[in-house]
Amino acid sequence: MTKETFLHDKHVKLGAKMVDFAGWHMPVQYTSIIDEHNTVRNSVGLFDVSHMGEVFVSGKESLDFLQKLVPQDISKLVYEKAVYCQLPKADGGLIDDLIIYKLGINYYLIICNASRIDEDLNWMVRNSKGFDVKIDNQSHNYSLLAVQGPKADELLRKMGLDTVQESFTIKPACICGYKLLVSRTGYTGEDGYEILVENKFSEDLWDKILAYGQAFGIKPIGLGARDTLRLEAALHLYGNDLDENTTPVEAGLSWSIPKDKKEDYNGKAVIMEQLANGVNKKLVGLKMLDKNIARHGYDVYFNGEKAGVITSGCVSPVLGANIALAYVKNIKEICTGAVVQVMIREKLHDAQVVKRPFIEKRNKVKV
Amino acid sequence: MNFTENILCSKSHEYLLKNDDDTYTIGLTDYAVEQLGDIVFLELPEVDIEFSKGDAFATVESVKAASEIYMPVSGKILEVNTALADSPEILNEDVYEKGWLVKIKATGDSSEQDDLLEYEDYKEELE
Repeated sequence: MTKETFLHDKHVKLGAKMVDFAGWHMPVQYTSIIDEHNTVRNSVGLFDVSHMGEVFVSGKESLDFLQKLVPQDISKLVYEKAVYCQLPKADGGLIDDLIIYKLGINYYLIICNASRIDEDLNWMVRNSKGFDVKIDNQSHNYSLLAVQGPKADELLRKMGLDTVQESFTIKPACICGYKLLVSRTGYTGEDGYEILVENKFSEDLWDKILAYGQAFGIKPIGLGARDTLRLEAALHLYGNDLDENTTPVEAGLSWSIPKDKKEDYNGKAVIMEQLANGVNKKLVGLKMLDKNIARHGYDVYFNGEKAGVITSGCVSPVLGANIALAYVKNIKEICTGAVVQVMIREKLHDAQVVKRPFIEKRNKVKV
Repeated sequence: MNFTENILCSKSHEYLLKNDDDTYTIGLTDYAVEQLGDIVFLELPEVDIEFSKGDAFATVESVKAASEIYMPVSGKILEVNTALADSPEILNEDVYEKGWLVKIKATGDSSEQDDLLEYEDYKEELE
C-alpha cells in the first residue's frame, strides 16, 4: 500500500506530478524542476517532507544508548542543538544517516530517511537491550514542512516566528497560533527551517505559508528539485551515495566523526582503523565537461581503466553544468582538477574532479 | 497546419509525420515531453545512419532521467534538428514545429506503420 502524507490532496490540487517514493505517493514536481530549484536558490520554497521519520528517544539511559548507535559524541550535544549523524553496523557500513536533536534531559528527537524507518527502528530496538530507554516512533503523527531559501527566515518572521536560533538548532515556537517545533536545518544548502507539526494542523499551516509567501514569490517544491538542490550542495542521499556497504570514512564524512569519543559504538573499530590508515575508495565531485549527464550506476574510468562508479548525477541549474558524485579508487592521481571519464551509453565522456560542495552553501547562520 | 491531425504515434511516444516530399519527420509526442519534464540534453544520430523500426536512435535527458527514443519505422537519417543541441528546452515549448528530432527516408514496408496510432486514439489509449 502506498502511503500518503496529510498534504497529499494539496499536492494533487496544485497539479503536482505524483510518483512513488520510498513507499509514499509524493509530488516530484509542480511546474518545472529547474524553476522550482531556482526559486529555492533565489527566494523561498515550501516542501512537504512528511514522509521522513520522527523517532523520540527518552529514558534514563538515552545518552548511553545513542552513544552506542552513532560515531558522533552525543554527550557534547547541548539543549536545542542538532547534529548530523550516521547509523553504522559493526562493519562500518551504514544503516542510515540522520539528524539527532536534543530536546531536553534524556529526551532526543531523531529524524531519519523515509526509506529506512523500518530498518532504523529494528536496529535501534535490537541495540536497546540492557538500556533503560524508550524508543517512540511518532512518524505517523507528525508532518514535516521545510521552508528553504534566502527569504525563508523573513517569511517565517512575518508569520510570527520569534525565536532567536542559529543553524542546527531546534526550538518550540509559535507560527500563526500553532505550537510547533522549528528547526533551522534543511537539505538544500540554503538557510531555512524544518517545521514539525501535528498532522491535523499541517494542511492549514501549508496554506498559510503559501499565502504569506506570495509576497516573496514562494512556490511548492517537489522531490525532483529537492534532489538537484541537495546534490549541488553535495549532501549525501541514502540509497544513492550511502548504503550498508559504505563506511562514513569512505563517504567523505570523516569531518563529522570525533576522533576522541571515549565510548565504544557500533563500527568504531573499523571507522577508527580507516581514519588512521585510509580507505580504498573515496567520494569525489565531478563536473561533466560536455552536455551529457552522469547517472547513478554509470562506470567511471581513469587512464583507461575502470576506477569507480557514479552514485548521483544531475543538472546543476546554478552552474549551468552537469554534476555528479562518484566513488573512485583512493589514489592520489584522482584529485581536484584531474580528468576522469564516465561511460554513458557505451561512450566515454570527460569529467573533471571538482571540490564538494559544487556551490557555496549559505546555510550557516549565526545569531 | 494542425500537426496532431497528420501524425501517427507509437506506444513508446514518438510521432511520425509524412512530409510532402515523401520524407518523414520524427519527434516526441507532447504527452511524452510533459511526462519527462524539463529537457536538458538530447543526443541525436548522425545523418546517413540507417535504423530499423524499434531501434533506439536518440536519447533525451530530462532533469530526472535519461530515456531512449525509438524509430517508429525503419529509415535512413536525412536531417537532424541541430537547434536542439544548444537549446533542448525547445522541446518543452513545442514538439511539433520547432522541436522535431530527425527527418528520415523510410526504408521499410508501409506495413511497419500498422501498429502506429492516430493521435486521438493514442491519447485515448493513455487514459
